Amino acid sequence: MRFIKLYGKCIKIAIAGALAYRLNFLLTTLLATILNALFPIVTILIYNAGASFPGWDFYEVLLIQGVFLLTSNLAYLMFDGVLWTTMQHVREGTFEVVLLKPLSPLTYLVSTTFTPEIFGGVIAGSVLFGFSLFFTGVSSFAAIGQFLLLFAGGFCLMAGLCLLMSATAFKWVDNGRIPEIYDSVMTFGKYPVTIFPQAVRGAASFVIPVAMIGFFPASALLDRVEIAAFFAVIPCVLFMLFGIWVYNKMIKLYEGVGG
Amino acid sequence: MIIKLNNLEKTFVTYKRGSGFGAALRSLFKREKVIVKAVDGISFEIPEGEICGLLGPNGAGKSTIIKMLCGALFPTGGEINVAGFKPARERVRYVKEIGAVFGQKSQLIWDIPPIDSFAMNKAIYGIENSLFEQRLDELVKLLDVSEIIQKPTRVLSLGERMKCEFIMAMLHNPRIVFLDEPTIGLDVIAKANIRDFIVEMNKKGTTFILTTHDLEDVERLAQRIIIINHGKKVFDGSLETLQSELGRKKIVELKLHKNADLLDIKGAVVLDKKSQLEFTLEVDMDVVGISEFVGELSKQAEFTDISIKELPMDKIITAIYAKSHS
Amino acid sequence: MTKIKQKLDTCMTVARVTVKEYLAYRSHMLVSLFVGPVYFAVQYFIWGAIYGDGGEIAGFEYTQMIRYFGITALIGYLTWGSADWNLSMLIRTGKFLTFALRPLHHRFFALSQKIGHRSLALFLEFIPCWLILMAVFKINLFPAHLGWFILSVLLASLIHFFIAYCIGLFSFWLVKTDGLRMAYWLFDSVFAGFLIPLVFFPKWMQFIQFFLPFQYTSYVPAMVFLGEYKLGGYELSLPAIVGVQALATLTMFVVSELMYRAAMKRFTAVGS
Repeated sequence: MRFIKLYGKCIKIAIAGALAYRLNFLLTTLLATILNALFPIVTILIYNAGASFPGWDFYEVLLIQGVFLLTSNLAYLMFDGVLWTTMQHVREGTFEVVLLKPLSPLTYLVSTTFTPEIFGGVIAGSVLFGFSLFFTGVSSFAAIGQFLLLFAGGFCLMAGLCLLMSATAFKWVDNGRIPEIYDSVMTFGKYPVTIFPQAVRGAASFVIPVAMIGFFPASALLDRVEIAAFFAVIPCVLFMLFGIWVYNKMIKLYEGVGG
Repeated sequence: MIIKLNNLEKTFVTYKRGSGFGAALRSLFKREKVIVKAVDGISFEIPEGEICGLLGPNGAGKSTIIKMLCGALFPTGGEINVAGFKPARERVRYVKEIGAVFGQKSQLIWDIPPIDSFAMNKAIYGIENSLFEQRLDELVKLLDVSEIIQKPTRVLSLGERMKCEFIMAMLHNPRIVFLDEPTIGLDVIAKANIRDFIVEMNKKGTTFILTTHDLEDVERLAQRIIIINHGKKVFDGSLETLQSELGRKKIVELKLHKNADLLDIKGAVVLDKKSQLEFTLEVDMDVVGISEFVGELSKQAEFTDISIKELPMDKIITAIYAKSHS
Repeated sequence: MTKIKQKLDTCMTVARVTVKEYLAYRSHMLVSLFVGPVYFAVQYFIWGAIYGDGGEIAGFEYTQMIRYFGITALIGYLTWGSADWNLSMLIRTGKFLTFALRPLHHRFFALSQKIGHRSLALFLEFIPCWLILMAVFKINLFPAHLGWFILSVLLASLIHFFIAYCIGLFSFWLVKTDGLRMAYWLFDSVFAGFLIPLVFFPKWMQFIQFFLPFQYTSYVPAMVFLGEYKLGGYELSLPAIVGVQALATLTMFVVSELMYRAAMKRFTAVGS
């Protein structure tokens, strides 16, 4: 309860702060929307040229990418600021500021680093999701239930990945390219994993289950989900727990060294 | 005269910006224009070889004047001439004649040793190899930084970095050097080192113009002081003239042997009473001479310790600001 | 003559110092050795699936398509630059002043920095990734005509620089330019040809690319690499398209100079 109140207040402050640079804020939010809305552009152009991802029609692929955008941006809205703030504090040796607060460092960072500009991505994700769902339709209520379960799994994975990124920032100070490393791996989740060779498909489903960010939940809605997808929720949850554990471990290490 | 300012003016237009959520939202649609006269008709001349301190409270217009002198800012009105140049108009040729150190704006490259930054300025200013070596050698010895300049800038202390900023600004042997808050944030020893360096370079003929909030800088360095407030010149003269500005006054600190009333000496006012036995007095030398005062004092009280000091600078300056304000 | 020699000397010194500066961050560049091949792997697999048994899509055969994606990734290492961000930072922190007080054109300084930075990228990113892509994916990454390709990449790097510099100059007028930089990056990512060859776009969109700067940073050198340039229904010979690219570069240079003068006018009027 206390956390929600705090989070609400911080969101308001973050928006007021962003508005101080008016033209810039309007532009960044608008651009974040467009940037994300353009995400399926390659898919559109491929299908327009008469080609396709074998076994998947146009709107099915769009649905996968809509879910991908929604999941990833919801996670970024909460966790992206944690990465940048951690990086800045570690670089400047001021992480103590966070440790002095009467809250767990992770709670404090998540609530104070809300990034309003990312709303653009959430909006774009919702629109793409709604649009493609309009064409594909939903087969059953059961499908919606399965979708929600897998969607939650995807969010857990994203949360885990974001926290791992932030934890990396403790060791690899001042490297703005950390997100690229994770993003490159996540790219495998933007397409139907069935088109990949068997080994890649297995890795994207169970080792680092990036298929859960878009593909698995979307295929549930399309009633094309495989049983294996539900097993993949387990590594997703493990990723989140692992992320939290590693991040907290890094804080402990930092206290030991920095103290 | 190496610097000549005649009725210099600078006006800025800015916009009001509120704080808080509502004001930020409103500022999206409507902004209020504010016109600020940062420099309002300032004239002075500075001869070559002088160290001149430019003083004034925050926002008085000091930095604006320095920037106009450096050629980074066009005056709105009036004339400006430095070393025969109109600074902003003939910028590229002019800047070879000057050096500048801005306490808050580093020229050094953060991740590599200062020596590499120096090499960069050598190329930029087109300094001859032999001249560069000789000049660098001289500056490095004077500032005692021969080892420091080989280490990455980011590991240096603020004082060491500031020494290197000075080298960076003076490698091309400028005739005039502008210093904006050169000792800001430094410890006592580093401040002293920097001041000694400035004095030494001044002896060799370099003219220095400096702005500062540190009055010790002024006392140790400036042969000439110009005080600016609200864009206007409110004082121009030597340190001694400044000190006599409020009349010839001295501060007397006393430790008494036993209680006494001391309110009886003409021209002396009690400023502070730390205890029954410790007093601070301000004595007006125009009313009572120092020996007269001491004579009178020993008649009225028995004291175990006495010290006589000049009026502190900050007091004088605050008084001048207050006077210029009303 | 001595003036040119001094300029060259300045350029070389600034470049050398920049190499030293970024060597401290070599791990940033080495990230590319992982990220580059991973992104490429995704393209490799999805296009493999799309082509299936072969054929042509939008005039590209499978091997051409794969080579296209390989070389655009590599060209990026030689053209990328952060002149926009660097300049914004200098202006926002007021440090631009220290350049205004030195006898050189800041754009020349920034270009020298880029030369240094890209030289480092050539050895730490371009060459290793080139070898990795060829070894791991068994693709041919040799240009059709080495000379034209090198020229085209140099021009691409230059025009990228002038564009970035113009964007950075906007900081003289706007407090924050993140939005603007994002806009540029957005259009660039779509229309430079990183996502997909430009011939996949509708004809009219392809045509207007001749008058926009984006294709000259990536699509043009990539097509020069493949040895045949086509866009908007036109097929141009290599000398012709490199000529057009040179013209575009010159135009951006002029734009950057005009903007620089306006910016300096404002800088000396307002001081920030």
